[in-house]
Order: sequence, then C-alpha cells, then structure tokens
Amino acid sequence: MNIIILILILFFLGAIITAFSGKISALVQDILFLIVLVVPAVLFFTGVDMNTESIITFSQAQLTFGMTPLSYYFSLIVMGLAVLAGFYTVGQMNGKKRKGYYYLNYILSIGAMFGILMSKDFISFFIFWEIMTWASYLIVIYNGKNVQKIGIKYFVMSAIGAYAMLMAIVLIHSITGSFLITDLISEYTGMTQGMQLLIPALLLIGFGVKAALMPLHIWAPDAYSNAPMSYTAIFSGALSKMGIYGMVIVFLSLLSKVPEGALIRDIVAWLAAITAAISTLWAIKQDDAKRLLAYSSIGQLGYIIIGVAIGTPMSIIAGLFLAFMHGVFKSALFMVVGAVEKQTGTTDLTEVTGLIRKMPWTFLAALISIIALAGIPPLGGFVGKWMLYESLILSDHFMLVILVFFSSTAAFLYCYKILFGFFLGQEEKEWAHVKEAPAIMIVPMVILSISSIVLGTYPQLILKPINAAMMSFGLPDTYGNLWKESILFNKWGNQIALAPIMYGIMLVFVIVTIFLFFRNRSRTRYVTTKDISTSGEIIKEHENLTFSRGFFQPFLRAVEPVMKRQIDKYMLSFAKGVEDLFEFTRRIYNGNGQTYAIYAMIFLIILLMFGKNLLG
Amino acid sequence: MVGSPVLFVAIPLLAAFIIPLTGMIWKNSVRIIPGLVLAFMFALSISLMGYVSEHGTIVEVIAGWKPPIGINLVFSPFTGFLTMLMTFLGFMVWLYSYKFKRNVDFEPSMKYFILLMLLVTGSVGIVLTGDIFNMFVFIEIVSISGYGLTSFYTRRDSAEAAFKFLFMGAIASTFLLIAIMIIYSQLGTLNIADIAEKMPLMDNKLKVLSLVFFILAIGVEAEIFPLNGWAPDVYTQAPGPIGAAFAGIVVKAAIYASVRLVYTMYDFGGAFDLFIIIGLITFIVAETTALRQDRLKRMLAYSSIGQMGLVMIAFGIGTKEGVYAALFLMFNHAIIKSLLFFSGSYLVFNKKNKYIKHVNGMGKYLPITSVLFTIGSFAIIGLPPFSGFWSKLAVLTAAADSKMVILIAVILIISILEAVYYLRVVNRIYFFDKKEKTETQKPSINALIAMICLGIIVLVIGFYPDLISGYLDRAATDLMDKGNYIKEVLTINK
Amino acid sequence: MEGILMSILGAIATFLLAFVVGMTYGGIRRKVIARVQNRYGPPIYQNFIDAFKLFSKTTAVHHGAMHLLGPAFLMVSAVVALMIIPVLRDNIWFTNLNFKGDLIFLIYIMTFGPLGMALGAGQTGNPNSAIGVTRGLSQMVGFEIPWVMALVALMIKYNTTSVVDLMNVQNEVGQWLIFQNPFAFVAAILASLGMFRYAPFNIVGAPTELASGPASENGGKFLFTMMSAGSVFAFVKLTLLVDVFFGGASNLIELVIKTFLLYMIPVMYGVVNPRYRTEQAVTYFWGWPLLFGFLAIIYSVYF
Repeated sequence: MNIIILILILFFLGAIITAFSGKISALVQDILFLIVLVVPAVLFFTGVDMNTESIITFSQAQLTFGMTPLSYYFSLIVMGLAVLAGFYTVGQMNGKKRKGYYYLNYILSIGAMFGILMSKDFISFFIFWEIMTWASYLIVIYNGKNVQKIGIKYFVMSAIGAYAMLMAIVLIHSITGSFLITDLISEYTGMTQGMQLLIPALLLIGFGVKAALMPLHIWAPDAYSNAPMSYTAIFSGALSKMGIYGMVIVFLSLLSKVPEGALIRDIVAWLAAITAAISTLWAIKQDDAKRLLAYSSIGQLGYIIIGVAIGTPMSIIAGLFLAFMHGVFKSALFMVVGAVEKQTGTTDLTEVTGLIRKMPWTFLAALISIIALAGIPPLGGFVGKWMLYESLILSDHFMLVILVFFSSTAAFLYCYKILFGFFLGQEEKEWAHVKEAPAIMIVPMVILSISSIVLGTYPQLILKPINAAMMSFGLPDTYGNLWKESILFNKWGNQIALAPIMYGIMLVFVIVTIFLFFRNRSRTRYVTTKDISTSGEIIKEHENLTFSRGFFQPFLRAVEPVMKRQIDKYMLSFAKGVEDLFEFTRRIYNGNGQTYAIYAMIFLIILLMFGKNLLG
Repeated sequence: MVGSPVLFVAIPLLAAFIIPLTGMIWKNSVRIIPGLVLAFMFALSISLMGYVSEHGTIVEVIAGWKPPIGINLVFSPFTGFLTMLMTFLGFMVWLYSYKFKRNVDFEPSMKYFILLMLLVTGSVGIVLTGDIFNMFVFIEIVSISGYGLTSFYTRRDSAEAAFKFLFMGAIASTFLLIAIMIIYSQLGTLNIADIAEKMPLMDNKLKVLSLVFFILAIGVEAEIFPLNGWAPDVYTQAPGPIGAAFAGIVVKAAIYASVRLVYTMYDFGGAFDLFIIIGLITFIVAETTALRQDRLKRMLAYSSIGQMGLVMIAFGIGTKEGVYAALFLMFNHAIIKSLLFFSGSYLVFNKKNKYIKHVNGMGKYLPITSVLFTIGSFAIIGLPPFSGFWSKLAVLTAAADSKMVILIAVILIISILEAVYYLRVVNRIYFFDKKEKTETQKPSINALIAMICLGIIVLVIGFYPDLISGYLDRAATDLMDKGNYIKEVLTINK
Repeated sequence: MEGILMSILGAIATFLLAFVVGMTYGGIRRKVIARVQNRYGPPIYQNFIDAFKLFSKTTAVHHGAMHLLGPAFLMVSAVVALMIIPVLRDNIWFTNLNFKGDLIFLIYIMTFGPLGMALGAGQTGNPNSAIGVTRGLSQMVGFEIPWVMALVALMIKYNTTSVVDLMNVQNEVGQWLIFQNPFAFVAAILASLGMFRYAPFNIVGAPTELASGPASENGGKFLFTMMSAGSVFAFVKLTLLVDVFFGGASNLIELVIKTFLLYMIPVMYGVVNPRYRTEQAVTYFWGWPLLFGFLAIIYSVYF
C-alpha cells in the first residue's frame, strides 16, 4: 500500500479509536493519542519522498496524492508542530472533560492538513480542506462559550472561503476538464482574461480566510482565543499556514504568468500590510493574553502574505521563512499562555502578575519566543524580517516597508505587555501557590524556543527546503545568490552574517554579565518586589501597585482615529440586516390556507402570462 | 425475471384489504404485514434492477391491453432507481415507527400502517406508470393517504394542517384533470410515450396551457414555491416519521412526474429554464425562511423544500451531468433528510411545540441520536467526507459545464445559510445546557437500527460514492434518451 | 591572528572612545542646560565623577534575575551597535567589525537594549518603572517611522543598505547626503530628537513625576552600566548620523566637531521646550517628521 494513503488511514482510524478509547482508561487514551501523532510523523520523515504518488479513482473525480517540494516544506511545520503540541496537549488536557471529542478533532485536523499538503488535485484538496474546517470548528466551540456567535462566525467565514474555492474548482474543471492542479497551471495561460482573473481571485478568497487576511479575518480573534490553547498553537502555527500554502501556489504558478496578476498581487500585499498594522494596534489594546496573541497572529500572517504576494525570490523566501518561524514562536507563546491558564486559571494580563520566579521555564520560553516574534536579532524572527524589508525595498514597495516597519515596531508594545503582565511586576499573595507547569508541557515549549535560537543562527537549515520548493516553481536557485550557509545577501551586494552576530552578541553578553556579577552576586540578596523606593511610602503586603490596567492608554489615545471603525462590527450588522430581511420571506408563509390558494392562482396567472414567451 | 412490476401495486393494495381482517385474529399483524410488504417491494426492486441492468427496460402490460390503449408499467433504470429508493425509505420508515406507535391504540395504529403502505404504493405507482390518467389516480392515492396521516393525531392543529393540504390538493387535482382532458381531447391518447410521439401535432397554445396546468398541479406535491404553503404545517403536525416519508418519498414522486413531463412528454426547450427559475426561487425562499424558524420540524421542512428546489435546478440544467446530479441529490436528500427527521423527532420528543431550543444539551442524554443528527446536518450542508458533498459537487460541476457562473454563485451563497441554521442546532445539542425538566425519550431499538442504517449509508457513500454512481449514471442516460423510451413502450410485443 | 588581535584591540579602543566622548557630551549638556536656566551647573567632567562613584559602590539588594540582567541587555545592544558602525573612515583602529554596518540590522539592534532594560525594570515591581517603560515604547513607535523613512529614502536612492556604502557614495560624489537629500536629513534629525529622549521627549524618566522612571531600583554597578551604555548609545547615534549625512569623519577631531554640532540640536531643542505628554510625543512624530519622511522618499524616487 502506498505510504501516503497509509498515513492518512492511520490518522483517520486512529482518531476514531482514540476518541473511544477513553472508555478504557484515560492513560490508554493519552498514549494512543501520542502514538497516532508520532507514528505518522516518523513514517512521513522516513518513507515519503517526492516520487511517491498514488491515485484513487472515483467516477466523479480522480484523487491524486503525492508530495512536492513545497508541500514537503509545509509538512515539516505541520508534522513537527503536531507532535510537539500533541505532547503539550496531553499535559494540558489532563483531567478535562470531553477529552475524546477533543482528541478526535485534533487528530482529524492534523490528518486533514496532511491530506491537503499531499493532494495533487483540487477535489482531495477541497475534501481535506473542509474536514480541516469542521474539525477545527468543533474545537473552537469546545469550551461552549458563545458558540452561536463565535462558532458560527468562524464557520460562515470558512464557508465563504471554501465555497469561493469550490466555485473556482468547478470552473477550472469546466475549462480544463480535469481537477489536477498541474493541469490548471499548464492551461492557465490559455484561458480567457476574465477567467484568468476570476479563478485566482476566488482561490485567494478561499485561502485568505484561513490566512486571516483582511477583510476576511473577523473570525480569527474569537476563534483563536476561544479554542483551548494547545489547539490554538496548531491553529495559528500550522492551520493558518494552509492558507499561505495555497497562496504560494496561486501567486507563483498562476498570477506570475499573466500581466494582470501584478494588480492582484499588489492589492493582496496592501491588504496584508493594512491587516498587519491594524491588528497590531488591536493586539496592543487587548487585556486578555489569548486575544492579544490572536491579533498578533493575524498581524504576523500579514507579513507572511506580503512576502508571498510581492513575489520576488527574496520576498518569497522571507514569507516562507517567516511562515516557519511564526509556527515556531507563536505556537510556543500560545503554549505559554495555556500553561499560565492551567496553573492560574486565568489569562487576564491585568490580574496575573509576577510569575517569573514561580514559572521560570515558562518565562524563559516566553522570553525567547517574544524576542523572536519582535524580530530582534539574533533570533529567527530577525532573519525573516530582514529579508522581508530588503525585498520590499529592492522591489520598490516603499510605502509597504513603512507600514510593515510601523507594525513591527508597534509589536514591541504588546510583546512587552504580555511578558510584563504575566511574569513581571509585583508578586502577589494571590498567586503564591502557583507552581511550574508539568514537564510534559514545558518540554515542547523549550524545544520550540531552542528552535528559534538555532534558526536565527543557522537559517540554512530551512532555507534549503525553501529553496528546493521555489526551484520546483521554476524560480532561479537562490543558494549563493541570496543566501549562503548562514550569510544572507541582497541583490545590491549587501550582506549580513548571522552566525558571527550570534557569537558576538553572546560574547559581549557574557563579558558584561561577568563584569556585573564579579564580586557582586554573593553580596546582593533578594528582596521582595514590595520593597521598592516609592518616595518614602512603604507598600503594605496587600497593596498591589502593579501598573497593568490601561497599559498603553496614551498610545491608544494617539491612534484612536484608526481604531474607531471596526470591520467586525460592520460585518455583523450586515449579517443581522440580512437575517432581518429574511424575516420578510418568512412572512410569505403566514399559515393561512386561503392565502396559499391565492398564491397558487397568482402563480397560475404568471405562468399563463409569461408561459408563452418562456416555453414557446 | 423474478417478479413483475405489477406486484408493486398489487401486493400492497391486496395487503391493505387483508390487514383489517388479520388484525382481528392477531393484533400484531397490523404492524408486521406492512413491514413485510415494504421489505418485499424493496427486495423486488433490487432484483428487478439487476435484471434491468442486463436486459434493458421492462415494460409490463396490464390486462393484456397493449399500449397505447392499455395501462402499462415501465421499469427502466431511471424509474427503477427511484422505486428502489422509495421502497427502501418506506421500509425504513416502517422500521423506525414499528414501536413508535405502540402507545397508540390498535385502531389508529392499523390506520397508520395501512396509510403509510398506501403512501409508498402510490408514490411507486406514480413513478412506474406509463399512463397519465393512471398517474392521476396514484397522485390521488398519495394525497388522500397523506391527508389521513397528517391528521393522524386528532388535534386541532393537525386537522388544520390536513385541511390546508386538502385544499391545495383539491386545486391540484382539478387542474391536473383539466390538463389531462386537454391532452386527451387533442391527441386522443393517455399513454405518455404515445403523447410524447404525437406532441408536435398539438396546437402550441393548448400545449402551453396544458403544461402550465400540469406544473401547477404537480407543483403542489413537488412543493415548489409558491405552492408549498401547506408543506411546513404538514411536516410539523404529522407524526415524525411521516415527515421523512413526505420528504423522501412523496416529493420525489412528484418531482419525477414533473421531470417526466418536461423531459419526455413535452418538447419545449424553454421548460428547462422555467425549471431553473422556479427551482432557484424555491431554493432561495425556502432556505432563507428556514433560517428564521424556531421550530425544529418546520426548519427541516423548509430545508427539505429548499433541497427540492436545488433538485429542480439540477434537472433544469438539462445536460446528462445535470440529471446525474439531480438524481444524486434526490438520493442523498432522501437518505439524509429521513435521518434528520428520525433523529430530530427524538431530540424534541415529548416537547409541546417542538421548538429548536428544546434540543439544548441533548448530546448528553441521547448521545447516539445526537451524533446521527450531527452527521445528517454535516452531510446535508455538503461537508466532506459525507455523502452530501458529492451531490453538491455534481450539481456545481454540471452548472459549471453549462457555463452558469451566476447560478453557481447563488447556490453557494444560499448554501452558507443552510450551514448556519443547521450548525445552530448542532451547537445547541452539544453546547447548551438543558433547562427543562421534561423526560427525554430513549429511542427504541428498531428506531435506532433504522437511524444507524441511514447514518452508515451517509458515511459509506461519502467515502465511496461509486457504490451508487453506476445506478445514477444509467438512470440519467435512460431519462435523457427520450426516443428510446417511446420506442420501448410502443413497440412492446408488436 | 594579527587581524583578530587588531580587531579586538580596535573594539576596545572604539568602546573607550565612545565612552569618553559620550560621557563628556553628557557633562556638556548638563552645563548648557544649567547656563540657559541661569544656574552655574556642574563641571563638565561631573559625569565621570558620578560614574566613578557608582562603579566603586557595591549593590546590596536585587529583585530577581531579569532585574539583574536588564543593564546587561542595554550594554550588549550599545556595544554591538557600536561595533558595526564605522567610526572613522579608512582607519584600522576605528573600523566596523561586521558587514559594512547594515542599516536594518542597526535599527533592530538599537531597540534590543531598551527592551531588555524594560524587562529588568519590569521585574522590580516598581509601578513607576512600568509606566516609564510604556511611555518609552509608545514614543519609540512614534519616532521609528520618520527615522526609517529617512533611511529608506537613502537606501533606494543609492541602492545600498549599508552605512559604509553610503559613506563611499558621499566621497565619490564629493557632496554630503544632507545636501543631496535634505528632506531625509530633516526627518532623521526630528526623529533623533525622540531617540535621545531629552526634553521635550524625556517622558520615560520624567524626573519630576516618576521617582526616576525605569532606572529606579538600580544602583551601584548596575546604574553605572546603564549610564555608560547610555553614553555609548548617544555616541552611536551621533556617529551614525554623521556617517550617513555628513560623509563620516576621517580623523577624530573632525568626528568630534561634527558630532558635537549635531548633538547640540536635540540639546538646544530640549532646553527651550517643556515636556510633552505621551500621546503628544507620539503624534508629534506623525506630523512634520512624517511629512518630511514622505518628501524624502518622493524626492529619492523621482529626482
């Protein structure tokens, strides 16, 4: 049997078995869950190569599975995160209700993502896309909070995207007579101009929903924050990347081939830049860590989309690199929030303070991931940011650079907020009992943080698969051209060597630290955070002076004009208006038999009046 | 050949007379015999389908009068497929309601089962007959048993619903009869094949008039807008399984009749457009109305009407792919909507007004039923890997192949509404807390078997649609080939 | 081997130079402000005395690991930024160490220190620290935009992202960039007002309102480290501006003159202006500086 099919069957059967194994014992269920995640990952990394292909034939469609260099790259993200977040999940879900339900949908969505990546035709792509959608939908509503609002919003937006995609798929089929993605690519240039624009536009709507591109992003803050954090790590880290995956295909293999494509690219890039800027501002405003990270994810996805949409080799590398990095650090951060939530019971940044000494490992993971997120050298985030800026400047997108710079600088604000809110500030008695999260939750976070550091020093580890993926789309080899080992170049000949930076910074850091602590450490003693200089006033035990409410109030006042209008509100009121409109159609059925008889007569008259024209 | 299509009509009618007699001897026979009859009909249809696929269409002449004079039954891949579907569903409805009416007295339960059996018989008759007056008779059988079943619970509301149905049905019968009279007066024949052959001879004005009357008459049963006002009331007031029977059997027969008119009898190309227009309006109005319903069965009823609109659209596309898609939709709708009616009835059991809010938190109390309802909802929305996806894909592909881009867009937009109202219910089942104290009714074992059967079909077809695509393909080819139909009916035994 | 030794010695020399120049400028600033306010003011070398005093003190208490590491972050950022900026043109002692001083890297590494310091300040538990940090970060969002616009304008005009290349361009043409793209200079210098955090942008420390901002809770060596890092940072910023807009300097005297003149701009601006509120400070940068930034980019693209 073909190994891809085997992996898919493993996922889907495993999901069902795991779901029901909870009846035996919780431990068996956990172990099964991990096995179902780890075994396919191992099989994938050992058994699948670019040549494995298999075809399942139905009368309506032919399902073709196989791997391309691009899907291999995204599979790295999906499989890696699935396993790490899987271990974390076991820790986080310990003792929770509806574990079977959760595990089922978790595995199903992972399997569906794998299926999407392995699909070579649109029908299997769409099937797995929809499975992914409903499985993630079921997890979004797992908490049972506000399901009618949040869940339906997510599903409706997903359905809009999916149906746009489906429309594109049937149109493609009517033109090419085939569902294969390669057939679309080869026949694309021969299509009429209308179709050349309509098909990519519809596909982009479909992918844009999952990649949370404005104005299709409105589901994301609620859905991300409402799902359990162990899943949001996947949701934001891997699932959103499926949208990016599709976009890469659309941009590189379709829109780059026609002159009109440039317009769509620029529109998407601008939308993405605006998405990034606005969602960053909203992230700063949030007082709940989950929502903060949710908005932050939307912003980060914006950068990725910009990179992919601009479409120069360097920007694509930047986009794909950032996609990987975002998977790494954002998942780690969602895991951190999940760990804090599990240990303290809340994720409100204004309530929790001073956990640094209680949860040191969690803090360390958070710190490193935040540095990576902020794009500060020498961690992985900087590599992607550097390439993104350079590519934008080199491809003459000056205003976009400014917008991106603005959002990544503003991102420092929320980065600080989340670190300060949870871990710094005064230590309160209320949280004195808090302990470090269990090791099974810590280890995945720490592994992800280490990846951030490693990728900041040796980006070639994933630049290689990115390069292979890009070459499969007919782009020139970028090795030695845009990057070489850990050195990055731009077209003007400027370069940046990452490994020396890392070592240099480490060296200086060590020297300064030694200087600071030389004959100093032993004499200093720890004093509580209540023992501070407050102009002679002495803080009592019960007083909490931590500054956490209205954290960036002045800044938010400064940007208030931008944040007054919310697309979300407009869309919701539109939806409500539409529903009220349906009230009219409902009134057609007023329950009176006489009225119905009149309808019948009117129908008859209309048919008789127009029947001749219509039928004759 | 193991049996004759005549048995589809003869056996149930015979049984209907016998049952009251055997009921005097053995009370349980009133429950068991209809089941046996329906099972027999299903088995017969399967074996005949096997025969048909090898030897071609069976044309059965009744009482030795050859067509075009005598009455004949046509068991072709197309009609046979529908027969199979209907008898299967009839059997499922019987299985589901075997104990459902246990708490009802002997006499009502006898009426219930006999009427159910006649409902199925009439529908099968509509599909099989090759004679329009005969079709009229079967439509009347269906209608009358429908009135009876609607008012089964002798309550004020159900009486009102039955009266509305009766009212609309009477209008329909009148116009149907007028249309048949016009045809007979002009062409001197009642045989469908013969009419089809002679149709070009008919005066165009009368042709239009008769078709309009036909559409009006059959449209009432086919629940097209605006003739479907009776339907939600009937679905709500009739016993739960009867909703499934209406959605899965009666409407299918009516759709069949209208399709037969347009595809075989008349030669108007514009009729296809009319189908699309009517279908689209029905689809839009019904789905938007369903969104605003607060009672579960009404919601399902409107959803059912909407799906029928979609079937009309698919038939209106007029290509073989369109017919294939329409048949696939009919099949899926029959299975899925029955599943939804079956499981939905239990979710709101014992509740007075059957509001949607009554399903709150049922996931805990009725886990299997809830899961089945959820599967049904996902399937009818068209989510893969459930069966509904393939039919939706077929419709869209057919539309795309005919370059109907806007039609695709409208169908998809309305489908989003469908997703919204079904998911609202599913969310309530699992994520709302049950507030009221009313007892929940655990499904009886036979009902559970029926539901699980349907659920398995939904899943299996979802994973492997090729199981039925062969039947669908042959049926579609059969319907498209008008000349062959005429030839086969008229040249029998000549 | 010799090259490495030379680099290390050069790095130490650069650091010492930056320390001395930065400290002296700080002293001069105090003096200038005092004279404007009609006071006598401290002597110019007062900063060295303060530094020596702080250095020789021991620290008695701390609030945790982040608190201790905060100044270290600040220093690392200052030193690394210093190391990649070319201090003097064609001089083996004061050359940069890495890839010609990439501007984007510089922008980012310069934010690294304040953020690390902010974390240290956060752990002290002093509410004033957190307030100061939020103000500082908000202001950073303000001034980064015109700053980046000015740099981007230069990058696209001369097709390079490195400081060294920009200096070479000025040498070849024989005209400083301040004359070639004056708008960029105006935007950059306005942005640098915020970067120096002198009045009216001294909202982070805000001496009279907050006890002493994020620096509170630090003493002894830690305060010394922060102070010297601040001086080095001042030198870094000035040198960068000189390199980019005034063609760099070929000897130390030229460097000192150019940087001193530049330094006087924020100092003088601060002397005559009262402190802004945070939102005023943020929106200030989105007014004229932003306009000049746009003009700079338009000028680069079309002229």
